[in-house]
Amino acid sequence: MANPMIPRERSDFSAIVDRPPLKLPGNARIVFWTIVNYEVWDIAKPMARQLLPAPTGVPLMPDVVHWAFHEYGMRVGCWRFFELFKKLKIKPTLSANARICEDYPRVAEQAKRDGWEFMGHAYEQGPIHKEPDQPAMIKRTLDTMEKFTGKRPVGWLGPGLTQTLETPDHLTAAGIKYIGDWVYDDEPTVIRTANGPLVTLPYTIELNDIPMMLIQHHESDYLLKRAIDQFDRLYAESKHRAKICALAIHPYISGQPHRIKYLEAIYKHVNKHKGVLHWNGAQMLDWYQGIAAKQLKAAE
Amino acid sequence: MNFPKPAVGMLPNDRLGYSPIAKRKALKLPKGARMVVWTITNVEEWDPTQTMPRTVLTPPAGGSPMPDIPNWCWHEYGNRVGFWRLLQIYDEFKIPGVMNINGVAVEAFPDIVKACAERNWEFIGHGFTQRNMQKVENERADIRKCIEVLERATGKRPRGWLGPGLTETWETPDILAEEGYDYVADWVLDDQPVWLKTRGKPILNIPYTQECNDVAMMLIQHHKASEFYERAMDQFEQIYKDAKGSARVMAISVHPYIMGAPHRAKYFRRIFEKIRKKRDVLFWTGAQIADWYLKSGPKAP
Repeated sequence: MANPMIPRERSDFSAIVDRPPLKLPGNARIVFWTIVNYEVWDIAKPMARQLLPAPTGVPLMPDVVHWAFHEYGMRVGCWRFFELFKKLKIKPTLSANARICEDYPRVAEQAKRDGWEFMGHAYEQGPIHKEPDQPAMIKRTLDTMEKFTGKRPVGWLGPGLTQTLETPDHLTAAGIKYIGDWVYDDEPTVIRTANGPLVTLPYTIELNDIPMMLIQHHESDYLLKRAIDQFDRLYAESKHRAKICALAIHPYISGQPHRIKYLEAIYKHVNKHKGVLHWNGAQMLDWYQGIAAKQLKAAE
Repeated sequence: MNFPKPAVGMLPNDRLGYSPIAKRKALKLPKGARMVVWTITNVEEWDPTQTMPRTVLTPPAGGSPMPDIPNWCWHEYGNRVGFWRLLQIYDEFKIPGVMNINGVAVEAFPDIVKACAERNWEFIGHGFTQRNMQKVENERADIRKCIEVLERATGKRPRGWLGPGLTETWETPDILAEEGYDYVADWVLDDQPVWLKTRGKPILNIPYTQECNDVAMMLIQHHKASEFYERAMDQFEQIYKDAKGSARVMAISVHPYIMGAPHRAKYFRRIFEKIRKKRDVLFWTGAQIADWYLKSGPKAP
């Protein structure tokens, strides 16, 4: 593609106060969107995140420490997630590297059995900018997931939310209907691509355990504190217009013994409120497509 | 110490001599007020084709691949959603706003400009783009373009200036004075306004803040959201105490993409809930502070 659109060409600026409020069905006010991220960290590559800097400050390969740090999430941490969501009867969105279906079939099988939504999150973990053939990688991701679950994913989240300017065009070409990469609003929006409209759902890098725990180094209980502050504000605003509160978690971070109780406490707080829907991305997409004919048409 | 002088412009100490605050003539505010609080809201437009000025999420395995859509979006949220939350707080507590805005952002976000203009906020120049002044090709043209854009959008010439990221060249105050600015806020070195010499007429500097500033606190120091409230209160209480004999100025600086996030907004609101009750504290714009100091402060050198 010679001249892919820059973000402003994909989406006009729009102030939230100038839009008619969105309405959720019944007496619902707010959607609480849980996104669980399961990944594959290939030992042959640099590890996606580091907790412990190498003694000399220079990262060396292979980085077994951080491979193991992540592996803990797949061996142990994710089972704390499965247990929690089964108990709460929540079916989260699973943002997964498609390779988990091959490398961790036990984990992927559990998510499938529990009815989680599979969302494309690249074939394996690494910035999409380094991907030599994006359309092929996207197709491989969706094919692998479809083969495993019997359903083709409708949603996509770039690894680390990374995109090149062309990515939205490649995604709609592959049949993707919504992305979580555009964290620029509280509401779903529609952006233009070379192949028609693409919905953005309000994912989050604020209420996300990677920035909070691994980049900003907050204490474990701050996950709960920020989640309450975020939810309470959005809940108050949802009196007048439907809101979405996203929470993004990783099993190697929030599945740690010292953090899991704060995650559990978030749901305890949220579920004390009336009018909360625990929807996943596909359910939100269905709802939004039903009420946003005008926006979708405008992005044709 | 004698430091080598730049070819153009001046060294800081050639613009103002050292002056201990304890030895100055007392400054008096009208009606027995002790201190002034001014609140600066920063609105920027981030160029999606350049490296993002700040990031909240680094890419997996590091580096800074371009384009950087997640961090562009994270900032854009402030203008689509966060700003409108902050505006409610300013309205609720009747805080006169100071809009510190890039020239390009004036054109990109007319709704924001309109909302501020309707409330009679003060607009100050903040660079035509969010790029360090040392890297701007033609500094004077950049400063002029800001005046033109703001005058066209609001009908008023801006009187104040804050450089993008507070950056200056050796010559910035000279150019600002020559282009008709009354004050600058880049020099965070005092609790009171000070005069800066330029090669022409002197220019005022009004106390801004890097400490009660959400970029420093939330993005660089990674404090939790409530720390913004706590630090602002600690800062306020100390300045209030210090201002017993002679007036002082406190600044609070925020960005809609940071304090306008749902989980942070309430800590910003709580500051005003607390300090707005004080009868001897004035909430002014930069221009009001400048006008007061021009009338009541020491004459220009």
